[in-house]
Amino acid sequence: MNDRDLRPSSLLRQRRALERRAAGFGRRRLLQGLGLAAIAGPFLNLALRGRPAAAAAGKAQRVIFFYFPDGVVGQSQDGDPSQWHASGSESDFSLSPILDVLAPRKADCLFFNGLSMGPADSGSHPGGAKKLLTAVDGGFGESIDQVLARTVGADAPYRHLYLGAMANQNNASGDKHISYPSAGVTITPEDDPRKAFELLFGNGGGGGGGGGAPDPTKVTVIDGVLGDMEAMRSQLGDLEKSKLDLHLEALREVEKRIKAGPTGTCDDPAVDLDAIGDDLYDPGHFPAILRAQTDLLVQAMACGLSRVGVLQSSNHTSELIMSRFPGTEMYDPNYDMRSHQASHYGSKHDPQKREYSDYLKQRRWWVEQYLYLLDQLAARPDGDGTMLDSSLVLLCTEVCDGNTHLHDDMPLVLGGRGGGAVSPGRLLSYGGDRHAGLLCAIGQAMGADLQGFGDTNTPALGGVLS
Amino acid sequence: MTVARPLVLPWPRLVGPLLAILLAAPIACGDAEAETDGDGLGVGEGDVARGAALYRELCAACHGLAGEGGLGTPLAGWSRPEDELIHIIDETMPPQNTAVCTGACPADVAAYILGGLGGASCEGEPTSPRQLRLLTRREYNNTVRDLLFPAPLSEGAPCKADAECDLSSESCVADLCAADPCGRHTFVFDPEGASYQSVHVAGSFNNWAGTIAEGGWPLTYDAAAGVYYAKQELAEGSYTYKLVLDESTWITDPQNPNTEPDGFGGENSLLEIACDGGGAGGGPPGFEPASSFPVESRPKGYGYDNNAAAGIVTAVHVEEQLRAAREVATLALENLDALVPCDPAADAEGCARDFVTTFGRRAFRRPLSPAEVDKYAGLVIGEASFDAGVSVALQVMLASPYFLYRSEIGEDAGDGTIALTPYEVASALSYAFWGTMPDDALLDAAESGLLGSAEGIESEARRLLEDPRARALIGVFGSQWLGVEGIAGADKSAVAFPEWEPAIGAAMAEETRLLVEHAIFEGGGFDELLSADYTFVNGPLAAFYGIAGVEGDAFVQAPLPGERAGILGQGALLASFAHSDQSSPVRRGVMVRERLLCQQFGTPPPAAGGVPDVDPNATTRERFRQHSADQSCALCHTFIDELGFGFERFDGIGRYRESENGQAIDASGDLSDVEGMGSGTHAPFGTIPELAAILAGSQAVHTCFSRQVFRFTMGYLETPADLCALQGIDQRFAAAGYDVRELLVAIVTSPNFLRRR
Repeated sequence: MNDRDLRPSSLLRQRRALERRAAGFGRRRLLQGLGLAAIAGPFLNLALRGRPAAAAAGKAQRVIFFYFPDGVVGQSQDGDPSQWHASGSESDFSLSPILDVLAPRKADCLFFNGLSMGPADSGSHPGGAKKLLTAVDGGFGESIDQVLARTVGADAPYRHLYLGAMANQNNASGDKHISYPSAGVTITPEDDPRKAFELLFGNGGGGGGGGGAPDPTKVTVIDGVLGDMEAMRSQLGDLEKSKLDLHLEALREVEKRIKAGPTGTCDDPAVDLDAIGDDLYDPGHFPAILRAQTDLLVQAMACGLSRVGVLQSSNHTSELIMSRFPGTEMYDPNYDMRSHQASHYGSKHDPQKREYSDYLKQRRWWVEQYLYLLDQLAARPDGDGTMLDSSLVLLCTEVCDGNTHLHDDMPLVLGGRGGGAVSPGRLLSYGGDRHAGLLCAIGQAMGADLQGFGDTNTPALGGVLS
Repeated sequence: MTVARPLVLPWPRLVGPLLAILLAAPIACGDAEAETDGDGLGVGEGDVARGAALYRELCAACHGLAGEGGLGTPLAGWSRPEDELIHIIDETMPPQNTAVCTGACPADVAAYILGGLGGASCEGEPTSPRQLRLLTRREYNNTVRDLLFPAPLSEGAPCKADAECDLSSESCVADLCAADPCGRHTFVFDPEGASYQSVHVAGSFNNWAGTIAEGGWPLTYDAAAGVYYAKQELAEGSYTYKLVLDESTWITDPQNPNTEPDGFGGENSLLEIACDGGGAGGGPPGFEPASSFPVESRPKGYGYDNNAAAGIVTAVHVEEQLRAAREVATLALENLDALVPCDPAADAEGCARDFVTTFGRRAFRRPLSPAEVDKYAGLVIGEASFDAGVSVALQVMLASPYFLYRSEIGEDAGDGTIALTPYEVASALSYAFWGTMPDDALLDAAESGLLGSAEGIESEARRLLEDPRARALIGVFGSQWLGVEGIAGADKSAVAFPEWEPAIGAAMAEETRLLVEHAIFEGGGFDELLSADYTFVNGPLAAFYGIAGVEGDAFVQAPLPGERAGILGQGALLASFAHSDQSSPVRRGVMVRERLLCQQFGTPPPAAGGVPDVDPNATTRERFRQHSADQSCALCHTFIDELGFGFERFDGIGRYRESENGQAIDASGDLSDVEGMGSGTHAPFGTIPELAAILAGSQAVHTCFSRQVFRFTMGYLETPADLCALQGIDQRFAAAGYDVRELLVAIVTSPNFLRRR
């Protein structure tokens, strides 16, 4: 099966156009274009070159997809009301027992009711994870983060940042990951904040300190590798084309970074790498790992290293023992409560039942981590406002209620103003419209030329974009 | 407002595709109404490729991979109209959860079924895909080791005793001196003419045992060498110890200058073991430059790290590959003479061409084309110094797609089929048997045309099987097949299992690896994997299992207690397929069905229950009873739980127990439907050895094992089109008495291995 055949033809055209004009975007020009020199903050010591230009009006500068596993406390099997969904009118609404965590940022978020991922695989964790960012049944499509990475994000030093916290635990199978560079194929996130740090801010990375000309050896090497890649592609013709196209794009991205030289965008971020401990899969370390990955992603974006990020916490049907998170209200060293275990709280909302009460606490904790991400963005100035003003941050999980696993009324929150593309502080209610329309709107807010998204080719959802 | 409820279904054997059950549409979480039939496709609109993937995931468990039937009706040769089939699928399939196949799915699946389910006749075309296979992290590390840092060839001097070799670094193995693997330390004590009743080692590794009876490691006297010595396997770490003479005089090791204060005014000898499990091989200890590459993606149902379709390169891979190439080049240049066997001062360009021609053939696992020789020689002489040029050429080669992918593309064989080239065959063989690059002999066999015939391939295959690397790769396969790779890092509850420690998990992983290697290479083959009445343990693991008479950290073969047998009795398996704080009949049952019998389950229905709470007053079997009481659960769990309950005498960390919460454990199990779900047989068992015997007597377990090895070898999940070739492989496996080495030979000599579609 040729994966590429399943992509919408408009994307194919767009892709070819981008490939044609791929060369010539120097990194310095990019950084100027992103208007980053004005960034400062408590953790930053920036040494940017070039002058800032005003952010493009009405366009989001960056997007982050923040994923957590195993759904939320939605409407129960027996009909108890959702503990997640907000209620009220578009402008006058109240949050819910879980979303109440976001009260301090209520005015910075768009809340959604009634968005569906469609009926296929409804009732399944993997089925939901496959559709979550692809909006294609079975994951037979490219995910929105990848579309944006190779279109509007392609000029950034890093087209795509995919960081995880225990997302690869137990050799997680492919459907446990949510980013699809081509139909049916997932990639794995980087679970190790130390390695992410090295990639982004170490000597080899784009954020490396110093300044100066490109390393001539690195230039020779990447040119030599690209030469072999071109030769192999012409030998193979259409054989393994999808695989080699992705490889070539990856080489071109790195080539661009190498040839731009170590421009010294910013110094090391103040990320507490010691707090994460030695064992990346010890659940007691999970909060520190997720925090480090969040800080790294925010810092990398503050430095203009990337416009598209995915933060994946654990993975669906998660074995993460959340009762081992130190210092949280879930903490209980005498009892192992896993995420997926808690999600099966039963047919009704029974506060007497431990699964239910822990599940509620767990879901609130996930929203608190999302709130932290929003707060970090809000703490950094960007142009006339903050990074949160110029960003979009989607909170998402693969099913609605963790016990029924249905794919309707999906728990989604969109934070940020997207550079004016979005007017937050509203509750948008729909009648089963596809979430593909929200992904399409996010793409358009990022400046992508998307007319529709997903296997339903759903156009941008009405009411999202200003 | 309607509310989702579990679907109540008649007994699954009644559920055939013609059984039209009207099912309530799935209902939204919250208030939104679900779409019911909004975007379905009609006759002729289905996509066969998507249908194939969906069929495998949603239908094959009951209807068979090739539509041969089982729990569901046979579908091969379906002759009724397409619209009827679409309708049946849309309305009734899969029976426990119709919502998972709506939209385009019914038409896609119908198109696949009516298109012949992807099957091929035995006279048909080759079925394996032409593919590029990205080296996995493990293959990359092995390849770099063999390419640039091969272990110095052992002189292999004949010997009859360790003392005839270099005692401190070699052992006498099979009458030849062989280098000790990292971690094997030799304690040597020269009595300088004195004589002792006993000399032993006591230290932090054996609880400072004051006597040999208490666990001290005895040194034996070798009269020829005139010394006392002992070789001991030690895990990485630092240890303090003393030598004890006649169990009374404690001295520091005269041969070891490193000491540290013992806290009592004296000194202890200090020993550092650092090798990162590197084993034999050159390069710095533990140099595994690919270990920080992104982890491999494993598609659902494919349990191995080497899936070809999932092996794609992202920008993170490229960064890591370039970094690794720099590190490798830096190290390789420390020993440039070994790499460049000519004098650049005499003729730089000639030497550059010699180097890239010779080295390139090994790096790309095929001869370089003239243009490639020009290119790489140009890189060598294009730098300021020859050394710098070699470094650049090395880095380009190691990040080149010709190095990173092994090609299974093939070329037109002239008879209308595509055949792998001899060099591709050489790589396919070496990665299949060794997980690394071909050696010079194999490349020479490709060059000489020896790999052009089945006989030549078979003779090379048998040679490769004799190499220790073949054993090591079987061990890797075993731990991936059984899903026990992560046991050392398992999150076991300190409350439920305070006895658990990572060192026990690591020992269990080693135990499984040793058992798999031994059963396959020295034992009776596959059946012995199931039935072995022995295992391999070190002191701590033996104590954990209650096996007497094993001490120290070295692994030795030991008889198993009667309640255990073979792989099913392995702590690694029992603890991996359990929860952090309790056992898991469900995981264990699914493990046997999926990994040993290749019986797959579909997606659990909505509102499937979670793991029942630990209940201090109930046994696990009692807690899971709801599965069989609720018919929608029973649809699948009848095949899972009754089997999994048979493991209940083993707790969540693999220890034997006879009671749980004060109640006697009922560990009776039933391996029903062993030859295929729906076959309707029952096979009750009371112990793990009995279960192992039932499995060993089944056809399905052998067929499944050959599928598993086929997947690991070929890099993809078999399709119906492979079933014909697999029949031939199965026959050879059976004819060889289920000798796994013969199975490997059968796979690599089958047409599917050599030809491509």
